[in-house]
Amino acid sequence: MRDRAATRALVLGLLALPFGLFAPFAIFSGARSLRRIRASGGELHGAASAIGGLVAGLIGLTTLAAGTGYWFLGS
Amino acid sequence: MIGRVLIALLVLVVALITYPGALLVSFATRITPAPSATPGPPGALPWLHVAHPSGGIPYVADDQGRMVLLHGAIPASLLEFGPGTGPFYPLDPAAYAGRQCPPNSPSSRYPPLCQVDLDEMARMGFNSIRLPLSWSLLEPERGQFSTLYLDRVAQIVDWARELHMYVIVDMHQNAYSHFIGAGPSVDLAQTSGAPQWATLADGLPSHVYLGQREVNPAVLEATTNFWYDRNGIQDEYLATLAFVAKRFRDDPVVAGYSVYNEPLPGWNLPPGFEDLLLFPFYRRAIDAITGSHDGLPCWSGFFMPAPCGYRDLGADDLRHLIFLDTGLLREVTDFPTHLGLPVSSYPNVVLAMHAYTHFYTIDHLMPQLVSSSTYPWGGYDQSYSLAEREAKAMDAALFVSEFGNPPGDDGKLLASQVLEEERHRIGFAFWTWKENGSGGWGVFAPPAAPADASGCLRADREALLARVYPRTSADRTLTYHYDASDGSFTLKAGGHSGDPSTVVYVPLEVTGQITSAGAVRVVVSRETDGGRVILAAPTGGEFVIAVSPAPLELTGCV
Repeated sequence: MRDRAATRALVLGLLALPFGLFAPFAIFSGARSLRRIRASGGELHGAASAIGGLVAGLIGLTTLAAGTGYWFLGS
Repeated sequence: MIGRVLIALLVLVVALITYPGALLVSFATRITPAPSATPGPPGALPWLHVAHPSGGIPYVADDQGRMVLLHGAIPASLLEFGPGTGPFYPLDPAAYAGRQCPPNSPSSRYPPLCQVDLDEMARMGFNSIRLPLSWSLLEPERGQFSTLYLDRVAQIVDWARELHMYVIVDMHQNAYSHFIGAGPSVDLAQTSGAPQWATLADGLPSHVYLGQREVNPAVLEATTNFWYDRNGIQDEYLATLAFVAKRFRDDPVVAGYSVYNEPLPGWNLPPGFEDLLLFPFYRRAIDAITGSHDGLPCWSGFFMPAPCGYRDLGADDLRHLIFLDTGLLREVTDFPTHLGLPVSSYPNVVLAMHAYTHFYTIDHLMPQLVSSSTYPWGGYDQSYSLAEREAKAMDAALFVSEFGNPPGDDGKLLASQVLEEERHRIGFAFWTWKENGSGGWGVFAPPAAPADASGCLRADREALLARVYPRTSADRTLTYHYDASDGSFTLKAGGHSGDPSTVVYVPLEVTGQITSAGAVRVVVSRETDGGRVILAAPTGGEFVIAVSPAPLELTGCV
């Protein structure tokens, strides 16, 4: 059975790339889904989506931090 | 396994074409060596460039490294407005030869621009002119560029050369195009820009809402299609820019090019509009003009994502300033609406702000929601202080490429703006030079009789705009203040012996006595336009240049 939170994490992660404010939600959803999938002993699937959402969320958050950090330091 | 690869690819591609990719390309421009330019051919004026002091705000400088302040106005009669097609006044330079001037047309919002206009500008102490052009006249048919229109521009550049004035060539637009379509409350005489073939409104109705020409579904749709390069129209725009740049590549009288006036976001929202569409477009424009090759090599002809650069279009213009207008949303908020990232490795970039505090800002546009007593929060200084930070983050100089107001508001709006420009040592271009009809914002009153070229010079504007100001100085940290109420002026600066002179212009309206104190050697000369020029050569240390209070000799009407 597929973990629904994994798909949610991927969607939020993809949204986090153009809209950085989604990043914390993608990271939270991805991490939680991944933990649940691992704990299910193979009953739940969707690890790839969960990891994708988590990674995209982390990239989005890093980008947001770098962009705003540059503004405050560089301006 | 295939699913994992597909998900990884999806994340990678979306990251590349959105903020992560945009950020990487933007940061890469900071470490990319600036393209090297050979010295330009000598001309009537020094070549301008942007100086980048370590830790300081970049500024426009001349060939001796002195800060240059440009003061000027914006004559708009070379624009094509609706309804209908074709310019109001002849494009053939022969119609203006020998100081001829075509008769003013009451059906045009603006009187014709003639040689006498530049004489009048110079007499007010202006050392520059921002010259708006219409894409619809430059490329009336797709791929067909108008050499005649550029001949007319070249004629004005030649007039400016005689008067030692710079010209900023401005690719102008207002509400995208006058081909947007007629509709309820749409005044096509207020719109200009794209040619008909590049106005893709997708059948959306042309209808103005909220009384703002830009709030029109057809305008928003056509603008959005431009940013997404539908049918390659953005490519055509870049080709037009290159066409202009090729013509003036070796001319120092042309200070530079303003890439796009008051960019409207279309249906897009900030900050994505600016960071992912507008400023990447600017990068591509710089690539096309200069051959800088910033950004990734990409396709062209349809939507180019943010990291995409653009091919060299053969102008190879590495000596002119490139003026980049902030987005229209910034203009109505007096506030940065995006991240403000470096755009290009090309060093001669100028961030061009429009300063319309309390007129086109939200407190005036939506008074029922925002009170002008509380917004902008930082008063007039909010826009300027934040713009300096934006420019520094972009590693660009700063310039006020437009400001203006109805004549009745001069005491409040105009006086406040020129004070901020002084305080922040920023040059300006005033909207507009001359305008027909009542309600115009011109430096001159509208003509009393339809055939007249213009009305009289507005005395309040003469007092505020014909200012004493430093045109150049080796001391970027100088401070100066001109008081239009009594004609007094004080400049405090410093310098080493042998530094190039600070040059202060005193228009003929200002009659006070010129004095100096401190480590400076001063020479005053009388100009042919009646003004005085102070050459202040530092001898090592601090110095003061002053003009004593004295009644202004205004020539304008009340």
